[in-house]
Amino acid sequence: MTPLDLLLSLAAATVLLTLLLGRQSWCGWVATLLYGAQFTVLFGMAATGYEGVVVDSAMHFTVLGQTLHWQLTPLAWFFALITIGAGLASSAFASGDWGRQYAAGGGSLRLLHAALALNVASMLLLLTSADLLGLFICWELVSWASFLMMAIGGGDAMRHALRYLVYAVGGGMAVLAGIALVYAETGSLAYAAIASGLPDYSAATLWTLLLLFGSGFAVKMGLLPFHLWQASAYAGTPGPGSAFLGAISSRMGLFAILVVLVQLVGLSRIGGLAIPLTALDATALLAWIAAFTIILPTFTALRQTDARRLLAWHGIGQGGYMLLGVVIGDALGSAGGLMHVFNHATYQAALFFSVTAVVYRTGTGNLDRLGGLVTRMPIAFMTMLIGIIGLAGLPPMNGFVSKWLIYRSLINEGYPLLFLAAVIGTLGTILSVYKLIHNMFLGQLRLEHEQVREAPWSMTVPMLLLSAVVFVTGYLPGLVFDWIAPVQAALGLPPLVYHLGGVTTAGGNLDMLWLVSSMLVGFGIGALIFYAGGRARRVHQLDNYAGGHFLTAETRYQYSYNFYPALHRLIGPLYRDSFQWLESGLVSMLELVSAGAQGIYRSVHPALYLLAVLVSVLFFWVVN
Amino acid sequence: MDWQALLLDIVLMPLVAFLVGLLMVLMMRRVRARLERRIGPPFFQPLYDIVKLYGKDIQVSHGFIHDLGIIMVVGGYITVEMFLPVPGLVGLAEKGDLIALAYLMMVPMLGMALGVGQCANPNGSIGISRALTAMLGYDIPFVLVIVAVAAMYGTTSLPEIIAIQQQGGMATWGIATMPVMALAGLITTHVMLAKEPFETYIAPAEIATGPMVEMGGKFMGGLFVVQAFQVYTAGVLYATLFLGGGENWLVFLPKIFAVVFIPFAITIVFPRYKAGEGLLWVWKWPTGIALLGLALILM
Amino acid sequence: MTQPVLLFALPLLAAFLLPVVWRISAAAGRLFGPLVLGVNVAIGLLAWDGVANQTRVIALGGFAPPFGIAFYIDRLALLFAVAVSLGILLLWPAGRDGEGASREATLTLVLAAAGTGLALSGDLFNIYVFYELTAIASYGLAAARGTGAGYAATMRFVVIGSFGAALMLIGIALVYQAAGTLNLAQLAEVAPGTLDGTLGLAAFVFILVGAGVKAELFPVNTWVPEVYGAASRRVAGLLAGIISKLALLIILRLLVLVFQHAEALQVMLLLGMLGLITGELAAWRARDLTRMLAYSSIGQLGVMFIAFSIPGEAGVYAGLAVALHHMVVKPALFLLAGRWGGAVERLAGAAQASPLAAALFILLALSLIGIPPLPGFWAKFLVVSSALAQPGAAYVFAAAAILIAAVVEVSYLFRVVARLYRRLPAATLPPPPGRPDLAVGSLLGAVLIATVLWLAPLGDGLQGIAAEAADRDGYIEAMNPASGLLP
Repeated sequence: MTPLDLLLSLAAATVLLTLLLGRQSWCGWVATLLYGAQFTVLFGMAATGYEGVVVDSAMHFTVLGQTLHWQLTPLAWFFALITIGAGLASSAFASGDWGRQYAAGGGSLRLLHAALALNVASMLLLLTSADLLGLFICWELVSWASFLMMAIGGGDAMRHALRYLVYAVGGGMAVLAGIALVYAETGSLAYAAIASGLPDYSAATLWTLLLLFGSGFAVKMGLLPFHLWQASAYAGTPGPGSAFLGAISSRMGLFAILVVLVQLVGLSRIGGLAIPLTALDATALLAWIAAFTIILPTFTALRQTDARRLLAWHGIGQGGYMLLGVVIGDALGSAGGLMHVFNHATYQAALFFSVTAVVYRTGTGNLDRLGGLVTRMPIAFMTMLIGIIGLAGLPPMNGFVSKWLIYRSLINEGYPLLFLAAVIGTLGTILSVYKLIHNMFLGQLRLEHEQVREAPWSMTVPMLLLSAVVFVTGYLPGLVFDWIAPVQAALGLPPLVYHLGGVTTAGGNLDMLWLVSSMLVGFGIGALIFYAGGRARRVHQLDNYAGGHFLTAETRYQYSYNFYPALHRLIGPLYRDSFQWLESGLVSMLELVSAGAQGIYRSVHPALYLLAVLVSVLFFWVVN
Repeated sequence: MDWQALLLDIVLMPLVAFLVGLLMVLMMRRVRARLERRIGPPFFQPLYDIVKLYGKDIQVSHGFIHDLGIIMVVGGYITVEMFLPVPGLVGLAEKGDLIALAYLMMVPMLGMALGVGQCANPNGSIGISRALTAMLGYDIPFVLVIVAVAAMYGTTSLPEIIAIQQQGGMATWGIATMPVMALAGLITTHVMLAKEPFETYIAPAEIATGPMVEMGGKFMGGLFVVQAFQVYTAGVLYATLFLGGGENWLVFLPKIFAVVFIPFAITIVFPRYKAGEGLLWVWKWPTGIALLGLALILM
Repeated sequence: MTQPVLLFALPLLAAFLLPVVWRISAAAGRLFGPLVLGVNVAIGLLAWDGVANQTRVIALGGFAPPFGIAFYIDRLALLFAVAVSLGILLLWPAGRDGEGASREATLTLVLAAAGTGLALSGDLFNIYVFYELTAIASYGLAAARGTGAGYAATMRFVVIGSFGAALMLIGIALVYQAAGTLNLAQLAEVAPGTLDGTLGLAAFVFILVGAGVKAELFPVNTWVPEVYGAASRRVAGLLAGIISKLALLIILRLLVLVFQHAEALQVMLLLGMLGLITGELAAWRARDLTRMLAYSSIGQLGVMFIAFSIPGEAGVYAGLAVALHHMVVKPALFLLAGRWGGAVERLAGAAQASPLAAALFILLALSLIGIPPLPGFWAKFLVVSSALAQPGAAYVFAAAAILIAAVVEVSYLFRVVARLYRRLPAATLPPPPGRPDLAVGSLLGAVLIATVLWLAPLGDGLQGIAAEAADRDGYIEAMNPASGLLP
């Protein structure tokens, strides 16, 4: 039994135990311990993550002449780390008071914990799968595990989950078509055999494969134009579940892209596929899809009035950065893309936790019905602050480092417009996340929230720990680079040259150690200057100047609705909901065609059809 | 670089920035006064203002985040100055490049937004929403400038950019090699400094109904400090990217003063845009010019 | 060693005896049918090893083929014969009292006998006879409920079925006129000279359309939704799950042995695709669970036609996999729909009433859609990959249609699942499925899971069966050892 087997059996045991013990109130803590054990086992295989040693699993099956087996590569290790970490945090968050409230509200904790465990286990299986068939099987497992997680909310959540399901199965079938094509071409689904057969593929076959695999994986990642399902589905998932899904589930698409398109096919081969009638190639196509995935969902997020939806839309947008970095494919860009997976997982989970904590206390995530909570829930506020700085990609948080690497690589490789697109996404994010934190925590406290208290420790501790990770890995990005360089080497990408604080490149350096330290010093000086001034008097928040209007304690004014009116006047007409239109148009078309199909079967004159067929057959016969 | 020299740089750079920035603010106010046929404030007035504001008896804080906001604004700019090389002072410029600097410059804005948010004054929030909208406007041409500079010099490291221009002489200055971009940069500087017609969110008329509404005493004092930093940063950055930096302060000071003089001198003739109109203008003109400049460079 | 003949003879004999037994003791009568079928299954299983080693040819009445009537028993035929008996045993129309029950039981036994005969027959004329017998038994069963809708639907069934039978007969007549024989082995030998022209193609199309009525081939499948909607769910399961596959078996045999036209395959591919597309789309729009399942079965049969239109062993293998999978899944689904029938809307909360049934429904739906690692996935994977291995755009379209159909399937099947899991107050819950239905459904579900566990050996076995079935020369040789001597 190899350590990998141990890890997988632990994951399976977690699923079983949560199912068995689901009714006990302490079930969540047991699950949390088990995730902790998985984490330990994973770090027991640290040689994989840090040095690139591959660990095989003893588990294998043979079917259709294909042997399925599993192994832990550095890439898998890196993603598994995030997966188990996210599972651990979500489980801990859900185990205490939040879970009690959830159960009291009629939710099934057993189902929730089991769904979480199933998600973690299926993802570990996917990450460690070592051939195309295994990848697909586990891919579907993950898809359905996510569905379970999304659907347990019931009601509206189920509706969104069904929509997700159609997208997910559609994507899965595209992948299956790709796999069947590979099987028909090569006769094997082992990576080594495919890799040796690939040079013989014609450009047309390769294009087909790229489109099939690309769109299949894109669905899971929420890349344009397959992104519509994600935000509403994640927003309807119970809080810790959406934190987990938002943190890592949608990155499975990126994982598969890395394994199949980057490692197996190779970026250079993809770059060699020219798009007819243009000067672009397939890499540029992917890069521009990524760029649009950054911009459009980010600006859709800007319009949201529900905190979880807003975050989920940003999750889609941030996926664009990861893909962008990866398809650029140089050492800096791919490191940035990979690191962004980790960074995004940490701050996104923290943000979802913070929002969930607020929902836990106030009962709503509606941005127009909150405000001023910073005085009541300071820890949730700090978590959100750190999270949004990470999400917006500003120093000193980890999100800045990964985005800087991507920017740097875009400039190095000569993609100024993509760089512009990436920055526009960041600017939109800043606007959007400020709206988020302002409408929830800043501004005026609503009357009904006067008595709100800080979230209990079972929720704040995971939040604080995640925030700490966001900050520390921003301060010392070398800690994360330690995992990323082996991944790059294993994927056949140029590995990043780095040091603890950042990177030194020909075109410009980044040393977060100095940058963050200097920020701390700067803030310290700022604080010195500030506190050297006269002592400030604390006043009630409503003791403020209203320019002749009277604000009373009974009438609260919170500026939240239509937060950026000037901007929306300008760009409002650009929101055309084209993708929504496209989707509903497709559905209507399907309705129409299927009404026709049903009409055939409902017809009362079936014999006529038979006659028609007969006549046509006879005609066929006579003509020949 | 040994650590003593580094320490000296780090201490000196914000200090120099503050002092030169105060001079620039003085110039700004004097120029405006002269154009309005006034005499203008005395030499130490900018400093007096700050000292006065810090010394106020009544200081009203709306909570910790209000305080933190001002600390972030001032502290953020102090950090920015450490990364902005000037003659004789390199500081941390080797540790972060132009991109990092551009993002560092957004931190004070975020601090300001947080501080104003905590004040619970809806007018303040409206002002911040306008300020952030404006940022979305001017940062786009600014980013194009960064791209162009990176493409032109092949680096985003500020000391290297300066070195390249100084070795090649005036013919290699940004303003000579990419005049269109320099024009876009100048307009962008004007917008970033929030001079008319782009001063919607900090216009005097908005004091009671803008971001500054709850800022008094040392809070306002902090913002005055930051104004000095802001003007200085704009001048130095422009001089660094387009005017070859400076071998010494004698050459450098006229350059940076000249850069900021232009917006100061022309601002008075303009009326004021509404928030959305200004944004549209910025997306149309400086962005358009910058795109043209970028196309010229890349071709 | 004529045991396999009993497979056919026993139920037929029992069908004649049943009314008598019933008259003597109703209880015995009720047990009689299942008992006979049980014995039948046992005989089939006992014969398996022998057949696996050596294909058996049984000349009825002692006249050697090609002159006499022959049963050709290879593993495929035996598999289907056992499946018929087992399927009918599991779906035995249970419950009702009185004369109707005895009639229904008799008809079911006739169906079993005719179905077995159909599976084992090695002679085109016999096939026609058994086919007609199956049809008549099906008409009777479809109308056995005695409802008005049932009669109307059966009437439509009868009309189309009779047309189909007539067409089939024309086709067989054409074959006989051209080739002068109806023994399949002999036909296989003479076909290359006589039936490879347009005449042969026309004959094949006639037979295809004729047999297609039972095999739910587009466009002669318009009886399906009405009949399944009106008949008892067990009968629907029987027709959709078992009998349709027998018609497919005929077509498969003819394709392999007699009609090796590229055009014949193209026609089947086209009709299969049309069936798949119209069936799935109609199912997507259906608001009634039974009709939804009926339409979905049309779609699945379309997949089988597509699979069998792929030339060579790969197509047979893939088609058999899909057929066997559907044989397990669809009856189980119909059983679950037994009491759930009617508007999908009314199913809200059914999962609370019967968690097992809801879970079972999910399992079956997942396999039907083709979600790995369930058997449905492997079947679909075989079809798609062997279709893509074929040259020509038509097969690519077919593969695409199958994959897109999966998306449609997931959409409508999980709409039902979402309904099942809606939370409702306990008083308004729909009834849980009956216990025998649930038991059989669970058994079939267990079969699915067992298939996953023993996938590799089962897959190899099926591949062997497919190879044997696709082996034309083997058939000729087994049927007529002296065939080499014939002109």
